[in-house]
Amino acid sequence: MLKDRRLRYLGRSLLVVVAAVGLLVSQASAQGERLVRLTFYYPVGVAGPLARVVDGMVQEFNAEHPFIEVVPVYSGDYDPTMMKVQTAVRGGNPPDIAVVEISEFPTLLAMGAIIPLDDYIAQHPGYIDAFFPAFLDNSQFEGQVWGIPFQRSTPVLYWNKAAFAEVGLDPESPPTTWTELADYAQRLTTRTGTDVTRWGVTISGGWNDWLFEGFVRQSGGQLIDFHGQEVKFNSPEAVEALEFWVELMQGLKVGPPHSTWASTPPDFVAGRTAMLYHSTGIMTFLKSSADFPFGAAFMPANVTYGAAVGGGNFFIFKDIPQENQDAAWTFIHWITSPEKASYWSAASGYVAVRADAYELAEMQELVTEHPEYLVARDQLAFGHGKMMAPVYQRVREILKSALDDAQAGLVSPRVALDRAQEEMERTLRSWIQTR
Amino acid sequence: MRSRPATFSAALHRLGLNRLLLHMILLIVSTITAAPYFWALSTSLKLRRDVFTPVPQWIPPNPTLQNYVDLFYMAPFGLFLVNTILVVSGILVIQLITAPLAAYVFARLRFAGSGFLFGLFLVQMMMPIHAVVVPNYLTINAMGLLDTRLAMMLPFWASGYAVFLLRQAFRQVPRDFEDAALIDGCSGLRFLWHVLLPLAKPTVIAFSLISVVTHWNDFLWPLIVTDSPAVRTLTIGLAMFVQQESGADWPVLMAGTIFVTLPLLLLFLVYQRKFIESFMYAGLKG
Repeated sequence: MLKDRRLRYLGRSLLVVVAAVGLLVSQASAQGERLVRLTFYYPVGVAGPLARVVDGMVQEFNAEHPFIEVVPVYSGDYDPTMMKVQTAVRGGNPPDIAVVEISEFPTLLAMGAIIPLDDYIAQHPGYIDAFFPAFLDNSQFEGQVWGIPFQRSTPVLYWNKAAFAEVGLDPESPPTTWTELADYAQRLTTRTGTDVTRWGVTISGGWNDWLFEGFVRQSGGQLIDFHGQEVKFNSPEAVEALEFWVELMQGLKVGPPHSTWASTPPDFVAGRTAMLYHSTGIMTFLKSSADFPFGAAFMPANVTYGAAVGGGNFFIFKDIPQENQDAAWTFIHWITSPEKASYWSAASGYVAVRADAYELAEMQELVTEHPEYLVARDQLAFGHGKMMAPVYQRVREILKSALDDAQAGLVSPRVALDRAQEEMERTLRSWIQTR
Repeated sequence: MRSRPATFSAALHRLGLNRLLLHMILLIVSTITAAPYFWALSTSLKLRRDVFTPVPQWIPPNPTLQNYVDLFYMAPFGLFLVNTILVVSGILVIQLITAPLAAYVFARLRFAGSGFLFGLFLVQMMMPIHAVVVPNYLTINAMGLLDTRLAMMLPFWASGYAVFLLRQAFRQVPRDFEDAALIDGCSGLRFLWHVLLPLAKPTVIAFSLISVVTHWNDFLWPLIVTDSPAVRTLTIGLAMFVQQESGADWPVLMAGTIFVTLPLLLLFLVYQRKFIESFMYAGLKG
């Protein structure tokens, strides 16, 4: 019986396919257009069956556009994706479209791998203005737009409401300033003898450079001014931010000096830390795993609120036929429409990249049910582009080892950042010389 | 062979150990070694909310096979398994032809520049894959082999490591054997096939296992040269569950890990004795 039904289903879907192909062929011959096939490299940055979601959206696009066939190619997460892109470009075989981590933009630019999108953008008045300005920071260079935001996130502060209630704090009021954060963290830290059984606040390692950027922004500073071509790793604001970290981790001992990006969400879920700095990307994971009420809030302010945005942008590649570039734009424009942006946000937990996506009914429904999703959006008012530079991987390593050394109490924040500044200048100078 | 157990227990005695104690130590060590695997197995059978509990739970409180179902829903793991087996065996078969021939030359023949050539082979051994990704990619692209299984095999058909291992093994076979074989009219390839290779069998098996494991686990090269799921391998499928921004979906990731490692584990269990032997093999006795 079951087999019978399956067979009939198979037969029917075969019929549909045959009909669709027939339609396609007849249309193609009628208009004399050729099928453009596009290779689309994409990383998946957050957990869940997102590869399926991307495939589904691509199929929908292909069905609506008989003369374009986008072929999605899963390319690992951000670092392997960049390696695959670089190898393919050097090998003279670039993809047509790729989603690449936003800080790699200068590297792509320096390689001459991508094209500016202004002519395409001009075809759709109002299109680019709908995006959150903070998300466009990592797309622009010398007045031109080179990338379109797609899977974007920002760090927020998660807090365990049960733990707040337990120590007599108002479970509905997260800390809003650094001073409150330090104060709450002290009250929330529990110890058995000298062993910490629950940390007050965990600033996740691994991508601590990204979180650190947020703290520097909160102090009113900036790490790399890409447009002014200046590195400010040892600015007073950066030193102040790192001194605050070291105070939390080494002075007050209310936060772990070492952690990894993947281990801290489980720590939060298991109640081993009462507050957690992490990406909005873990919201879905926390919802399905935590058995206590929790909230998401703006990262507390020093002189201002502030955050560095993260994630991946679309790029269109050079050295592919003009018709491929045109078709690539059609795809990018389609998949960043308000409807698709809100669908993608709901399916992935990423922040929807444009403001008008939040006006749609399905998005309204989602945020009424889960107001936490709005925190990330609202924090964007204080959001800035992520630091970026050529040889970004190297740049990250320099900053991360300075942070790790200072967090471990091996060197003072000032010395660590002075060294990082020096090494950065040397690295970038030798990069310029070898070009 | 009879002398070994005697010296073995003598050695134990010198260390102040008896067999019972030894077994207890081994038991502890093997428990430690096996624990992560059992933990992965246990996690793969858990619900997401049962993964992080204050008290570690070895037995899943609500055992489920759903993670394995999800795994196959998210990526065609069956196809990936077939591809992996094809690629790994495709590499091994050719390596087992090229390596013994080269090793025989380096072990038995003297010719001008043989030392230098062997040095070059050793350099190949020391070269990390990352250093040759781009040149290899260019070659594969020029041959029009991108996005094929062949592209994943081709660069590994000649292995400096295999040549080095086998050359050492061949050199341990005394000259007398070769002389004796020569007298009986057995030389060159026949000598290699009938005398050297059988004597070096443990080395061949050890290398085979190393080769299989290495290429089974290879990630970067397959990711770079392939695009379509039709030719891709298990490690790429597994990577879909390790996420940079949000950590990992542990139960599904562990289900994937179990599925990916199980064939290797079974292979090792089958060839375990040979594998261990090959590392203890210290030349011919007597």
